Amino acid sequence: MSARAHGVWWRWGAVGALVAVLAALPAIVGALPASDAAVPAADLRDAAVGSADVGFSGYAVSAGGLRLPVTQQLTEAADLFSDRTTMRVWWRGADDHRVDVLGAAGETGVHRDAGGTWTWDYESSVAARGEPASLALPSPPDLLPSSLGRRLLSEATGGELTRIGARRVAGRDALGLRLVPAEPGSSVDRVDVWVDRATGLPLQVEVVAAGARQPALDTRFLDLDLGVPPASVVAFTPPADARIVPAPDPLSAALDSGRSSPAVQLPAALAGLPRRPLEGVPPAVGVYGRGVTQLAVVPVSPGNTSGLRRALHAAPGSVVGPAGVRLAAGPLAVMLVETPDLRAFLLAGTVTLDAVAEAGNGIWRLRPS
Amino acid sequence: MTPVISTRGLVKRYGRIRAVDGIDLDVRAGDVYGFLGANGSGKTTTVRMLLGLVLPTAGEVALLGERMPRAARRVLPRVGALIEGPAHHGHLSGRANLALLDAAGPGGSRRTRTRRVQEVLEQVGLGGVDRRPVRAYSLGMRQRLGLAGALLRRPELLVLDEPTNGLDPQGISEVRELLLDLHRGGTTVFLSSHLLAEVEQLCTRVGVLDRGHLVLQEELATLTAPTGATVVHTPAADRVRAVLDGRVLAVEGSRVVVRGADPAEVNALLVGAGVPVTGLALQRPTLEEVVLAAAGSSPDRVEGAR
Amino acid sequence: MIGVELSKLFRRPRTWTTIAVLNALPVLVAVLVRLTDLAPRPGEGPPFLSAVLTNGALYPLAALAIVLPLFLPIAVAVVAGDSVAGEAQAGTLRYLLARPAGRTRLLVAKLVSVVAFVLVTVLVVAAVGYLTGTTVFDVQPAAGTSVSGTSLTQEELVGRTLLAIGYVTVSMLGVAAFGLFFSTLTDSPLAAALGALAVLVASSLLFTLDAASPIAPYLPTRYWLAFVDLFRDPVLWRDLTRGLALQGVYVGVLLAAAWANFTTKDVTS
Ligand SMILES: Nc1ncnc2c1ncn2[C@@H]1O[C@H](COP(=O)(O)OP(=O)(O)O)[C@@H](O)[C@H]1O
Ligand SMILES: [Mg+2]
Repeated sequence: MSARAHGVWWRWGAVGALVAVLAALPAIVGALPASDAAVPAADLRDAAVGSADVGFSGYAVSAGGLRLPVTQQLTEAADLFSDRTTMRVWWRGADDHRVDVLGAAGETGVHRDAGGTWTWDYESSVAARGEPASLALPSPPDLLPSSLGRRLLSEATGGELTRIGARRVAGRDALGLRLVPAEPGSSVDRVDVWVDRATGLPLQVEVVAAGARQPALDTRFLDLDLGVPPASVVAFTPPADARIVPAPDPLSAALDSGRSSPAVQLPAALAGLPRRPLEGVPPAVGVYGRGVTQLAVVPVSPGNTSGLRRALHAAPGSVVGPAGVRLAAGPLAVMLVETPDLRAFLLAGTVTLDAVAEAGNGIWRLRPS
Repeated sequence: MTPVISTRGLVKRYGRIRAVDGIDLDVRAGDVYGFLGANGSGKTTTVRMLLGLVLPTAGEVALLGERMPRAARRVLPRVGALIEGPAHHGHLSGRANLALLDAAGPGGSRRTRTRRVQEVLEQVGLGGVDRRPVRAYSLGMRQRLGLAGALLRRPELLVLDEPTNGLDPQGISEVRELLLDLHRGGTTVFLSSHLLAEVEQLCTRVGVLDRGHLVLQEELATLTAPTGATVVHTPAADRVRAVLDGRVLAVEGSRVVVRGADPAEVNALLVGAGVPVTGLALQRPTLEEVVLAAAGSSPDRVEGAR
Repeated sequence: MIGVELSKLFRRPRTWTTIAVLNALPVLVAVLVRLTDLAPRPGEGPPFLSAVLTNGALYPLAALAIVLPLFLPIAVAVVAGDSVAGEAQAGTLRYLLARPAGRTRLLVAKLVSVVAFVLVTVLVVAAVGYLTGTTVFDVQPAAGTSVSGTSLTQEELVGRTLLAIGYVTVSMLGVAAFGLFFSTLTDSPLAAALGALAVLVASSLLFTLDAASPIAPYLPTRYWLAFVDLFRDPVLWRDLTRGLALQGVYVGVLLAAAWANFTTKDVTS
């Protein structure tokens, strides 16, 4: 071999070795084993549900695979489930925290205090003040693994839960807890919650629809610092040049139409799911079911009905029945019921298409009392 | 005495082409070495290997007694080079180009830079050049500027690849005077060229390259030494054969070649016999004859398959 | 050696023409936004462009954001692609190496000069952006508002702007390294610049593709916009540090490849 060929060989060999080491690093870090612990499922659930007062700050990403047919008012809530949402969070308690949804060119920050929320939107320079409500559309804080995990586990029964090993999430050991809903007609195959061993904070939540292999929703922390963040970071004072408005509430329109609509008595159970008692909600609005299997019934004002009907008909996979049009997106089923006396209801929830059809028939048969 | 340039079995292959095929150069201190070869015979490739620009496929190069390209940083500051025509940054003036080149490597003191630049510019006949960018120079001026760059650090060895390309006859003769001048000052010159006349007028030693092979390497004086014959010019060529029976080697019109290394003796014989002699000289082979005898046809020729 | 390369680069009229052209776009955008008073809608357009309507002192950032996706990398690719291949094409490379400049030193000097070009360009864009912003728009002398809605003091704003300038400069190092590497592969500066641009275009395209999400964190353009994170409160360092590390890895690997290639290459130009 000539001196030149030799020089070529060792130089490129060194470069190749450098590239190989760098390329292998992420895989090696990712393969760090997590240590499991023999915590029973019920104890782990209790630890997770009781973690609302654990202070922390972190960085979380949620990825949703739901393609919802949306109307104008629902875009933001639907985006939460169809997109990748990147969040920063500072958590001091259930009513003292801040969640920023990061965008490439700005951010939307939700600051929760005892009296309500400030929602700051940088790009439009608007600060919106909202009141806490018992029924509201999902907002970014609801997508945090910690909040979502607690909510989904809160009504789980012992028989629904099993332990599924451990993994590393955000550099911490997380113990797996699997929830398989026992409810009839549930469209959720399972929910896997990965709970921090030390504090009980849910660190990752994966929701898998029946018949699917990829999670319909996967939200997890990428960074997590335990310790109560300073109050100054969480607090919010609107900047001097910001426009201050009341928070828009897409549900309020529906609730108003529920209040104004002729009195309807919603049934005590739909498709085998019992109705839940809710404060401050008109009788025409109902939520049925338990735990991860829930179905909401909301009256639709006459002005919105045709737009909603068109959106649902246009969506791929929609099924038209005598009671109305229905559609499934991942674990979520949606149905627009138009009764013979020209009233309309929107049914939405984590139930199967058959279950939502059965519930729709129940609504369709309603007569004004 | 260590040779200034010595190569052993130097080979350079470009794919299937053997541009240089096992040459053993031997250039000694004080030589003006003429590296002759037709276009495409491998001169430039050899020069690039000497300077470490092209890495040999096989073989070794030693420059000023040190291995190349390993010792490039020690050796090359003592060597000036002009490789396949000059090249400069067109948007800068000649002075700026020389100053940047000087600053780009070791062994050029910043303090003396302006003075040295001015000196070499004067040496190559560009002393009065203004601040025009090189883009505006004529071909001849660029060639001179390239030569100035090679002389900038008073090198012990000058490696010049076709240095008179693009020069007019006056320019060529000026360069020749300059090189002879430097040679008298002790600089060894390695000059590659395809021009026989240039080499013949300048060089003390000659190497002939033919399709990558070094077919000849010798002192010019030896190559063109008398052959032991005398050339006689006479209007009566046919009578010479009668007078010098058996010694006539060739007759071409009025030119007769006669064996015998003493023109006076030949003259005496012919004049004694009444043969008119108009010219008389010792026979010396021309460089052209030597080169043609050693090398074949031009490698530029591309013969069609028959 | 480095001084020589810097002097070559900055004594070249083309360098300054490039920088001037690069500045024309933000100035044009500023004038158009002022005349029409149409700021981009939320979620569209470059970051900070809507904010300058209330505070012109933020325009350096908007100007950087305007040139960052395309203009700046093109300029960097052209300069970096020209670095070695340009000398080869002009024939000066052989004289540099015969001087001898040393191949490794030459590479490093070229990289340093490209980095200097990026830094000067970014500084000029920011300075011209400041002048444009303060003449075309209203200025709030006191302070600015962070992306998170908190107020920043003048010192904080200046400090973070300087950090952003530094970060944008580092972001361009990957492109510069690609350009330099390709520049050692070919004798054509155009081919080298186009090669670096092809990498950029591919990276930007893959970044938008869901199927490419497993490799997204390793794309050279992945963290370019992270300089916005400097203006969140508290500063979000996560993407910034990743961006710096990623550019470091690209520079390291490509410089090593350029070195392996260039130091064993026949210079026949
Ligand atoms: N870079 C290269 N790639 C392939 N072949 C080359 C290269 N450079 C030179 N050659 C070939 O090598 C031979 C010698 O070329 P060169 O050294 O330039 O000759 P000269 O300088 O004597 O005219 C020629 O046949 C030429 O075609
Ligand atoms: Mg040649």
